[in-house]
Amino acid sequence: MKKLVEISLGVVTSVGGFLEVGSMATAAQAGATFGFQLIWAVVLGTICIIFLVEMAGRFAAVSHHTICDGIRERFGFNVFVWPLLATLLLSLMVLSAEIGGVAIALEFATGIGFRWWALPVAILAWLLLWKGTFGFIEKGVSILGLVTLCFVVAAVMLKPDWTAVAAGAVPSLPAHDAANYWFMAVSILGASISPYLFMFYSSGAIEDQWDKSYLGANRAIAGLGMTFGGTISVGVLIVAALVLATQGINQVDDYHQMPLMLIPVFGFWGFVLFIASLAVACFGAALEVGLQQAYLVAQGFGWTWGEDRKPRDNPGFSAVYTVSLFLAAIPIMLGLDPLRLTIFSMALTAASLPLTVVPFLFLLNDKRYVGEHRNGILSNAAVIFIIALGFVLAVVTIPLQILGGT
Amino acid sequence: MKLLRDLLDKQVVDREQVKIGKVDGLVAELRRGKPPRIVAIELGSITLARRLGTWPGRRMAQLAARLGGKRHGEPHRIAWHKVKDIGIDIEFDVDVRQTSIFAWQDWLRDRVIGRIPGA
Repeated sequence: MKKLVEISLGVVTSVGGFLEVGSMATAAQAGATFGFQLIWAVVLGTICIIFLVEMAGRFAAVSHHTICDGIRERFGFNVFVWPLLATLLLSLMVLSAEIGGVAIALEFATGIGFRWWALPVAILAWLLLWKGTFGFIEKGVSILGLVTLCFVVAAVMLKPDWTAVAAGAVPSLPAHDAANYWFMAVSILGASISPYLFMFYSSGAIEDQWDKSYLGANRAIAGLGMTFGGTISVGVLIVAALVLATQGINQVDDYHQMPLMLIPVFGFWGFVLFIASLAVACFGAALEVGLQQAYLVAQGFGWTWGEDRKPRDNPGFSAVYTVSLFLAAIPIMLGLDPLRLTIFSMALTAASLPLTVVPFLFLLNDKRYVGEHRNGILSNAAVIFIIALGFVLAVVTIPLQILGGT
Repeated sequence: MKLLRDLLDKQVVDREQVKIGKVDGLVAELRRGKPPRIVAIELGSITLARRLGTWPGRRMAQLAARLGGKRHGEPHRIAWHKVKDIGIDIEFDVDVRQTSIFAWQDWLRDRVIGRIPGA
């Protein structure tokens, strides 16, 4: 019974972590421009992240190391420094994008420009990290994150042609704007397979003191949680395809086009639900990314870490999330377009995948860490596939950005 | 035990289980006719920078000395005979508060973090 509660909690948590500004924006853009045709990218990304999250959790539960500890220990500092720098920098961009997402939601709600909201949002996020505990952050994010289920409800109520939806789950060649199509596919993959997600998950497993008895729960949480998250993304995509396209919007290049999405289904409440979903999903992600920055640095250099300690007992750790949050607020305060930043950072995330995913192949097959719980054929095939995908993405992202970026 | 594989880059804790850093470097004594012997581990930014190259190492040492005084111009060392346990973490029989390893964290606590309300 306790395990069941634990699993459902974990599932809810991972939904909260999965859906953030990146998956919402990329799914909405893809739906508006290409209808159901890019659903396959969401499905593919979700399958990849299920495997990675499961492995990150298994690694932490068996070896009592986070993924970050594992990379440093197994490969040495001189190798570790590359994924460290790449992830720190990219997460800072993603954090900026999340703060931008909340700020945009607040602009819709109040009419006051998003630039003015960046600092208050960063301060609120910082305050929660400063005073909150890990459990509080984790559970708060997850429970509020359930509001995003409204996209799934809306998608069902719009009565899409389900055979067309299913057909979208199979990759196909675009009829128009090929470069834009592939760029969006890359951004969707980057939004789904985010390194911060599996790194955060492994830190969470250590914070929650997982051991081998959690292996089953870990599998359930990874599988169900990420599937739910992916389902919500598909919901966003379907709604965007059916609503935005009929309103003549076939290119989302501004957040201001998005709040319309839920209005045909829920009326005025659709507007409120959209704002709430955007604000909650982005705010939750901002907390998690901010915290992950601190985990990454503290684990990488071996300092004390843990969100349950007081900042004064953990000065290095709390300084990292403090600095990250405020640095990330600056571009939004200066008026950088949050949507552009989001799409750009999602594509770069996809390009950075080899740096963080290649270590999985070694760590999860190393008996000294995972013993008898090392990867089977299926998991290894999945990692190798993701690495190959990562290399392809790393090569094509920049040219596609130039040719097909918004 | 393979030194580089099993020691380098592992988590170091003190006798109170406080995480004080990683094994950033190993100090070995070369002995004529016998295999080299580990005499200490090194921790800290200077050692890490030296692993990246001579130039980063020198610059980091200069920077550390400028920021923290002469005392910080050399890497922190913990003698190998203080080692108590090698497991997931490597435990040393030292008290981090009696070393200068966390001098910067103490500075950060006293000058910045501790002054923010709610810390």
